[in-house]
Amino acid sequence: MKKTIKTIKILFIILVLIIIFVLVNKLLSPKYMENLVEGSMIAEYYDEEKNHEVIFIGDCEVYANFSPMVMYEQEGISSYVRGTSQQLVWQSYGILKETLKYETPKVVVFNVNSLRYSEPVSEAYNRLTLDKMKWSKEKVEMINASMTKDETFISYVFPILRYHSRFSELNKEDFEYMFKEKKNTFNGFLINKKVKPAGNLPTKKVLPDYNFSENCIKYLDKMTQICKDNNIKLVLIKAPSLYPYWYDEYNNQIIQYAEKNNLDFYNLKEVADLVGIDYEKDTYDGGLHLNLTGATKLSTYFSKILKENYDLKDYRKDESVNKIYQEKLKLYKQAIKD
Amino acid sequence: MNVLILILSVIIYASFGPINLVYILFSSLTSFFVAKYTKEKNRKLIFILAVAINLLILVFFKICSHSKFIGTPVENIIVPIGISYYTLQIISYLVDVYKKKYEPQKSLIKYLMYVIYIPYLIIGPINRYDDISESLYAKKHWDTSRILYGILRTLWGLFKKFVIAGRISMIISVITGNTSEYVGAYALFAMLLYSIQIYADFSGGIDMVIGVSKMFGIDVKENFNSPYLAESIKEFWRRWHIGLSSWLKDYVYIPLGGNRKGKIRTKINLIITFVVSGLWHGANYILWGLFNGILVAFSKNKTTKWKTLNRIINYLIISILWAFFIWPTTTEALQMIGSVFTTFNYGALFSNLLNFNLDIANIVVLIISVILLIIVDCKKDKLDEKVKNMQVDTKILLIGILGIIILVFGIYGIGFNVNEFIYSKF
Repeated sequence: MKKTIKTIKILFIILVLIIIFVLVNKLLSPKYMENLVEGSMIAEYYDEEKNHEVIFIGDCEVYANFSPMVMYEQEGISSYVRGTSQQLVWQSYGILKETLKYETPKVVVFNVNSLRYSEPVSEAYNRLTLDKMKWSKEKVEMINASMTKDETFISYVFPILRYHSRFSELNKEDFEYMFKEKKNTFNGFLINKKVKPAGNLPTKKVLPDYNFSENCIKYLDKMTQICKDNNIKLVLIKAPSLYPYWYDEYNNQIIQYAEKNNLDFYNLKEVADLVGIDYEKDTYDGGLHLNLTGATKLSTYFSKILKENYDLKDYRKDESVNKIYQEKLKLYKQAIKD
Repeated sequence: MNVLILILSVIIYASFGPINLVYILFSSLTSFFVAKYTKEKNRKLIFILAVAINLLILVFFKICSHSKFIGTPVENIIVPIGISYYTLQIISYLVDVYKKKYEPQKSLIKYLMYVIYIPYLIIGPINRYDDISESLYAKKHWDTSRILYGILRTLWGLFKKFVIAGRISMIISVITGNTSEYVGAYALFAMLLYSIQIYADFSGGIDMVIGVSKMFGIDVKENFNSPYLAESIKEFWRRWHIGLSSWLKDYVYIPLGGNRKGKIRTKINLIITFVVSGLWHGANYILWGLFNGILVAFSKNKTTKWKTLNRIINYLIISILWAFFIWPTTTEALQMIGSVFTTFNYGALFSNLLNFNLDIANIVVLIISVILLIIVDCKKDKLDEKVKNMQVDTKILLIGILGIIILVFGIYGIGFNVNEFIYSKF
């Protein structure tokens, strides 16, 4: 009896310690709710109704430039943007694989900008993509493929190992969002209403090598294959952006790749005039990303392409889905007005 | 279990570079066979040769580490890890066997375990064969309470290393990074802080060695006895790096004559012993050893009747001497010591206190941690006994709390390089 009580006491202490450890991990991890909201986008998808016919995958050029709300309002397309900051191609592949566990869209739109990065680039960007992602085989593979030199896998498992020094900078956000979350995007689209006209851009550098790395092509091949296997149309795009430069050599490789694999490729940068993008008014950071007005123009334009070419359903006629979108649209319109 | 410990030690040691193994095996094998097989004929000569060869290898590497070789090919010579520690252990073993203090070890495996046991190979302490052999070779058995004590002791070492020493190193790196601006009060500030850093770093490492060894049932001797509670520099050296101090006493100071040959010879012997101690740290530290030797030779046991005042004065002296450890060359160290007495920029220091890589929260953590360190040092023996006798559940609770504190307040991770111990380079 005495031994049993002792064992229970020890187990209770261990349980309390585990709870404290979990709570401390939670407290010290960045919440990405008020600041650096880009880090929260990946997780917003999990709470969504999975009824999307189009999924956008890619870096900031998708979450800043394509508004599913506009595409729904214009053409009745049900879409979601699974974009994250500087999402690298192996991360895109992981996110696509993860998405297919939840739903099988008709079209996957992939922004090819990230193909320029042949190896892991930045720990900070890795974190924005990976921190809030649910644990899965895909996440493990993404972490392993993305880690920079100084990173460790275990710090993704126990965020305290990475974020412990935040104890001195904890603020209201950390306590307020310790157990709750809020949505910062509309189906993955992050509204930015600021206007910063395109100005002096850095000089265009001559690169020693313009070829996409084998590693990048390997993951692009995997994306192509997985879409083929699931009867999904993979559409490649290059979103409009003045910088970093999208070289002709890059573009030609994508054209060749698309031809070889029977994929569609839309270089939306080349049709910026047709879309009506005015880089004096439609960008929030001097030409790198579109702002709300730019994204609205581009989404309107691209939704027509999607509707005309990919046999998408008009969900405005689907009562249950339309109800969800109408509620979102109400909030969206409020948000763009504020 | 013992063979497993040896295999693990060899694997870990070899992972630092296989060349390390060559040196340590050479020293181990020569000393083992000399001790075991040397007959009476030419015994003295063979033992002297064995000691001399080991000593020469050590001195060679120590001289190579002198700052004047920076930028020369000598700089690229890789100093075997732990050579300062295992060489002294081997020499003490050879001398003791020669003096027939104990029988030579008959098993090569057991002897290798004494030399290559990884926890103390990296940062010490220097163990005597007769002190450690019993527990080192004893049959290992499971003892939950002992293992938990070992974990606690290890965590306490980690706390000192990562919470205290790591934090201070961030301040000192700013000061040493700009030797033209940060002189005078800044230099003194660095010296006072470095006293805590080197203690937390070194004794923290030793706590880990003792703790890990305890888990295996091996009793490693204490290397520190609350050194900053010493009231004189003589007393300090009885409390600091005890393994080295006692080794030097037994194998340098006493063979030189100790205090048996008059007052002047005693002082000379003391100074020589401390110069040797300086050389053991590296050729850059000979002057540091000399100053310590002079201070020990000419100081009294206590200077005033007030304990606290004695301790403060002693702390100040020791801190100033650490200048030779803070700045990379002897010239710089001397310039910094000089600047303490010639540049009075204390106002600038106080107004700049928040510009040394640490914000207020981190400074508060540092202050609380140092206070905790002082309290533990003052009550060391009582606390140690108390912890040893604690119930298993209380030990688990303490382990959990201390572990979380280290994880939260430790200085580690991307951008911080505090993983190396100061004394692992010696």
